Amino acid sequence: MSVFDGLRFRKVHSPIHNLDPRIKFVYVIAIFVAAIIFYQIIPLLILFLIQIPFVLLARVQRQWLRSLRGAAFLATFIFVVNVATTFFTSGYHFTAPNIENAAAMTMRFVVLVESFSVFFLTTSPDHLGLALEESRVPYEFAFAFTTAVRFVPVLAEEAQTIMDAQKARGLELEKGGILKRIRNYVPVLIPLIVSAIRRSLELAEAMESRAWGATKKRTNLYALKLHKGDYALVAIIVGILIATVYIRLYVPIPTIASFF
Amino acid sequence: MAIIETKNLTYTYPGATKPSIVDVSIKVEKGEFVLITGPSGCGKTTLCRTFNGLVPHFYQGELKGEITVAGIDTLKHHTYEMAKHVGLVFQNPENQLFALSIEKDVAFGLENVGVPREEMRRKVDWALNQTGIYDIRERSPHEISGGQQQRVAIASVLAMEPEVIVLDEPTSFLDPLSAEKIFEVIYKLNKEQGITVILVEHRLDLTAKYSNHLIVMDHGAVRLEGDPRKILASEETRLIGVGIPKATLLYQMLKKEGLNLGDQTPLSSEELADQLLEALKPRD
Ligand SMILES: Nc1ncnc2c1ncn2[C@@H]1O[C@H](COP(=O)(O)OP(=O)(O)O)[C@@H](O)[C@H]1O
Ligand SMILES: [Mg+2]
Repeated sequence: MSVFDGLRFRKVHSPIHNLDPRIKFVYVIAIFVAAIIFYQIIPLLILFLIQIPFVLLARVQRQWLRSLRGAAFLATFIFVVNVATTFFTSGYHFTAPNIENAAAMTMRFVVLVESFSVFFLTTSPDHLGLALEESRVPYEFAFAFTTAVRFVPVLAEEAQTIMDAQKARGLELEKGGILKRIRNYVPVLIPLIVSAIRRSLELAEAMESRAWGATKKRTNLYALKLHKGDYALVAIIVGILIATVYIRLYVPIPTIASFF
Repeated sequence: MAIIETKNLTYTYPGATKPSIVDVSIKVEKGEFVLITGPSGCGKTTLCRTFNGLVPHFYQGELKGEITVAGIDTLKHHTYEMAKHVGLVFQNPENQLFALSIEKDVAFGLENVGVPREEMRRKVDWALNQTGIYDIRERSPHEISGGQQQRVAIASVLAMEPEVIVLDEPTSFLDPLSAEKIFEVIYKLNKEQGITVILVEHRLDLTAKYSNHLIVMDHGAVRLEGDPRKILASEETRLIGVGIPKATLLYQMLKKEGLNLGDQTPLSSEELADQLLEALKPRD
């Protein structure tokens, strides 16, 4: 079942995992804003580097590297397009500032990917669901979200079972052209859908039996409370934003080329 | 006063041509351990659904007759109002757990009725302890076994502190050992907390000894009702196709051959063993 391992989640405790997801989300937005404000390589590199301690504290470096590797193709694309456009518009020659500029645009993209991946790698679905419940989002949405997460591994396992059963009865999934292959999946999809419908009816029955919709004023077993770490993160966010605005307005930013 | 009383209850699912339960009149007293059995398709699940108003509120269809549960007319009250009085545990443990942690699932009903957090914490912990799953409360449902999942389902209705718990074939997805553990948990709740239990089961071998009220259904109707020892010893029960405990069968065979082990029909191997030991004891 290794294919589906990625769909499962586990409660992990680390200083970063334990942070309030709402504050972490504000942090993503702050990095986002800073990355948009700067267009020079040096501040963007700094934005990239200051996030690495988070990754290390959360001990998700392996998954984090994987997500960066996933973004590598798009990053290369951005770099090449940027270099090419300046090449054609500035009289057919490469200049150091042009290349640096292209690198900065690429870095901006990488910083955005990095901050999103830190958020999603360190926020467990139940924490996210709780944040949804505690914000103004209607409870039904939060419930739909957590229930979907809950049933993804169940359905994935069921799909595997059905595929195995159909293969045992002679179904060849990997045969034929693309259209034939899509058609091959019909005997897998139909039982899967039928079973999902039956499952949802049973779920609805169980929810009704446990007083779903009894009152508009629902309460919650858990409460999101701000801890020391959350206040520290708020301070970091404010620091990043102030530094960003100050540097952008008053500090001349050197280019790497100017060092040589 | 009876905790559950039905009078001439007849129910037809929407679009069905014939009723799934026919003229059911039963009476369950507070604190009883009721066992409902009968061949599949005979209407056991449908009858369970009437106890908290899923039938007819959720399933629609046509319900005739009278039913009161915990003094409430379920026809006039919604299922969410009944949830405080009657807890339903279903066959498939997987499809009754929706949360990402076990304790959150146990809290689900209490959250829905708006119980304050501290009181909720107390009730959740109590229910977790009663069912022996306190230590795994932070796990997610797919990390635990089917037997544990079913105990979570029991805990989640128990947390509401209902007067009645109805379990519809709660062990049909489980191995015999996990099943036995579930029955022990249920029996304990019945004995120690005085909760009325209604258990739908085929495995009478394991459960008959706990019950003091047996209902045998067939084709939507109640065919036999009363003392399990009397009913399981009757010829009629065997003809309906009820899985009579092996110990009871053996007792009857021996009795037919003229070997009377006592007046009480045994319901479990332990009871039969005791009677045999008693009979075989050398007399002086
Ligand atoms: N949701 C439903 N809609 C229509 N008919 C149903 C539904 N559920 C059960 N039935 C029918 O009602 C009868 C009794 O079923 P059920 O109560 O599930 O029996 P049991 O639990 O004893 O196996 C069966 O004939 C079955 O086909
Ligand atoms: Mg049934």
